[in-house]
Amino acid sequence: MSVALETRGLGRRYASQWALQGCTLEIPRGTVTALVGPNGAGKTTLLRLAVGLTRPSAGSVRVFGLDPRAQAAEALPRVGFLAQEHPLYGGFTVEEMLRFGRELNPSWDDDSARDRIAALDLPLKKKVRSLSGGQRAQVALTLALAKRPELLLLDEPVASLDPLARREFMQSVVEAVAEHELTVVLSSHILADLERVCDHLVILAHGRTQLVGSIEEIVASHRLLTGPRDEAEDVSQMHEVVRESHAERQTTLLVRANGHVYDSHWSVHELDLEEIVLAYLGQDAAVRREAVLS
Amino acid sequence: MIWLGWRLQRTETIVTAALLALLAVAFVPEGIHLANLFDQQHVARCINSQTQACSFVVGNFTANAGSLQALFDGGWFNLIPGLIGVALAVPVLLELENGTVRLAWTQSVTRRRWVTTKLGLAVGTVLLAAAGFSLLFTWYQRPFDQIYGRWDKFDFDWIVPLGYALFALGLALAIGVLLRRSALTLVIAFAIYVAGRLFVESWLRKRFIAPLSSTWGPHSAGPNLSKAWVISQTPSDRAGRPLPDGASVFQECARTGVHGFKGVSQSCLARHGADFTHAVYQPASRFWEFQGIDTALFGGAALLLIAFAAWRLLASD
Repeated sequence: MSVALETRGLGRRYASQWALQGCTLEIPRGTVTALVGPNGAGKTTLLRLAVGLTRPSAGSVRVFGLDPRAQAAEALPRVGFLAQEHPLYGGFTVEEMLRFGRELNPSWDDDSARDRIAALDLPLKKKVRSLSGGQRAQVALTLALAKRPELLLLDEPVASLDPLARREFMQSVVEAVAEHELTVVLSSHILADLERVCDHLVILAHGRTQLVGSIEEIVASHRLLTGPRDEAEDVSQMHEVVRESHAERQTTLLVRANGHVYDSHWSVHELDLEEIVLAYLGQDAAVRREAVLS
Repeated sequence: MIWLGWRLQRTETIVTAALLALLAVAFVPEGIHLANLFDQQHVARCINSQTQACSFVVGNFTANAGSLQALFDGGWFNLIPGLIGVALAVPVLLELENGTVRLAWTQSVTRRRWVTTKLGLAVGTVLLAAAGFSLLFTWYQRPFDQIYGRWDKFDFDWIVPLGYALFALGLALAIGVLLRRSALTLVIAFAIYVAGRLFVESWLRKRFIAPLSSTWGPHSAGPNLSKAWVISQTPSDRAGRPLPDGASVFQECARTGVHGFKGVSQSCLARHGADFTHAVYQPASRFWEFQGIDTALFGGAALLLIAFAAWRLLASD
């Protein structure tokens, strides 16, 4: 499977603060990837780097093998981007926004754009300023889709929307993915928004990637183990321990298993995706707590 | 892309055009009236003549002609090129402030093309508007130029307004890419524009080229200063040195003549060694040189500022 988005040691520093650091990942073509992390984790920075809005301070980013900044003329037509605030020209009518898309994108699909607007019951003559948040998000998505990108980057697309608009928006994304061969990366700080539509997951926290992989593989490999404390060391040599907590004699480990886990001393539980994500996002806090206690 | 650029600066262009139209409504009828009066009264023939009849003709023309001349007093019209310049920076400033650059820069056109089109359009519109401003006043001023010379309305005529307007645009763009806040940017840019203009006008301009000076006695006509830019003209001694207590000498030598006319006694001045006149001036022949230097100064600063703005836009995140 070829790669749509690839980063190597990618980092971006603002003043002395790293917004993103040492990020290495590959997003295969045709996948829908959830980019999850708390606010300030570097999700927006990563997406902006991928579309060339931001320049890396370290490492590299490639979309379809192209540098989005240095090779913008080739890369930009292949990438659709929806910024978090859904910026649009408030004084433009919906029709003028479509003309904007047509003028600035050689591969613009005007028919599908007009069909989408009609299907959404959006009046063409209405000013963007007077639309609801959900309608603006849909206009912005229409622009991003009618450009006919191969990679679509959506930064917190539903964060500002009410639950109904959220559902409608995600439905539109699912339909677009089904209709075209589209690779999608969408970010959110809430996994529940994305879980149903995604098949891949990237967890970002504190400016670093915590976990990258297909959701199927992630769920299959993570296990919660409970067993004798004095054997915890042995387990950690076999499997990657994500999180641990110790009672007097007993230890609970959340591990990314390296192969099959079988040991009569340990009880093994499966985990759902949300539990795994929370474990990764809580990781640093847990480690700090351990450090304070010991 | 051209459509987009135009659509986004439509309001500012219309406002600028309306401002110029307003000026035209005020000055075009008056200008036509002036030109007719100038021809009908044969003022041109009298300009270099010293006869009593001619000075009456010229005096009559200037006294009756300029009902709008008072508008020039105080130099308020100097603000107009600045307004034109900052107004046409607004479309770029708003895009930065509202974040719509993130929309524009993620379409298929490169950022370089966006910057070239937007800034190019702004520069073009500003030059066009400033040219309109200059054309209106250069045309309106023609009769007065022939009488007083062209120095009088130096700031409104010919090519300098283009440099001024471009300077204001460059200031607003350069400050805007740093601040990304439109209202504050406009206030700061306009303040710097005014300060820069005042500095050049009151201090720097007369030093562009070392001025000429001349000293002449009571029986000499002195150089022809009627169309020159006279920087100073004072009573002085034979060597051109101004008198240390010039004011008191004048008081002492002031006389009230037979018809109640106030005058100064030449013999009294001579007794004090003050019957010479010393003038420092830029001759009329230097007008174009000064227009060139002024335009190069403001236009050059503008180009640097605009280049800085373009570079920041291309390099920014």
